[in-house]
Amino acid sequence: MTSDAEFDEQNKTMLAAIWQRHRPVVLERINLLDKAAAAAMEDALSLEMHEEAAGVAHKLAGSLGMYGYDEGTRVAREIEGMLLEDVVSDPARLWGLAVELRRVVFPVM
Amino acid sequence: MRRILIIDDEEDIREVAALSLETTAGWEVLTASSGAEGIRVAESSTPAPDAILMDVMMPEMDGPTTFRKMQENPALTHIPVLLLTAKVQGVDQRRFSGMGFAGVLFKPFDPLALAAQIAEKLGWVNE
Repeated sequence: MTSDAEFDEQNKTMLAAIWQRHRPVVLERINLLDKAAAAAMEDALSLEMHEEAAGVAHKLAGSLGMYGYDEGTRVAREIEGMLLEDVVSDPARLWGLAVELRRVVFPVM
Repeated sequence: MRRILIIDDEEDIREVAALSLETTAGWEVLTASSGAEGIRVAESSTPAPDAILMDVMMPEMDGPTTFRKMQENPALTHIPVLLLTAKVQGVDQRRFSGMGFAGVLFKPFDPLALAAQIAEKLGWVNE
């Protein structure tokens, strides 16, 4: 019979396997936020990239906490909030948040 | 055994939710990656799902639109539908209220708590 601890461990292992499989998608999305933030800093954020980045931030906000990255969800949600505005009012802040998001989810070892 | 249909365009959300419901509650899980596919799965499932867990923002057909289409089919109207959304702003929540959903759950969800949250919303707690 499986104990509660073994059950939790099995679930964690399966969740980790799902995370590993989807990690490249998350990385790609964070890269896109980087590009959008850089473009905003140059006052060159196209409408298409603006909308795509808002959608990506929304998806990250809704998924990162599921893997235990609660801070990632918080930062992604703040990014989404900034990108839901027609114009990014504080591009430097957006850039800082994009950097923070990468650091939280993919810390340099 | 309960049978739950998960409709979400994000593959990892479907996978984690399915893992969660299967392992923590022992429920059977069906999945669909779009509103249109979700309607097809719900219509062809025998027995019908006991509940549907549905994303709000999906390409082509969003959650509320999918729900309205389901309500046009008498065979599906009895199935409670829970929204699963990352929209946490009050204005969004007010938009969903009064649309006929059985409840709203928020992303990101805790995989260990999702089944209990669904059971609570649907009054399955004491079963």
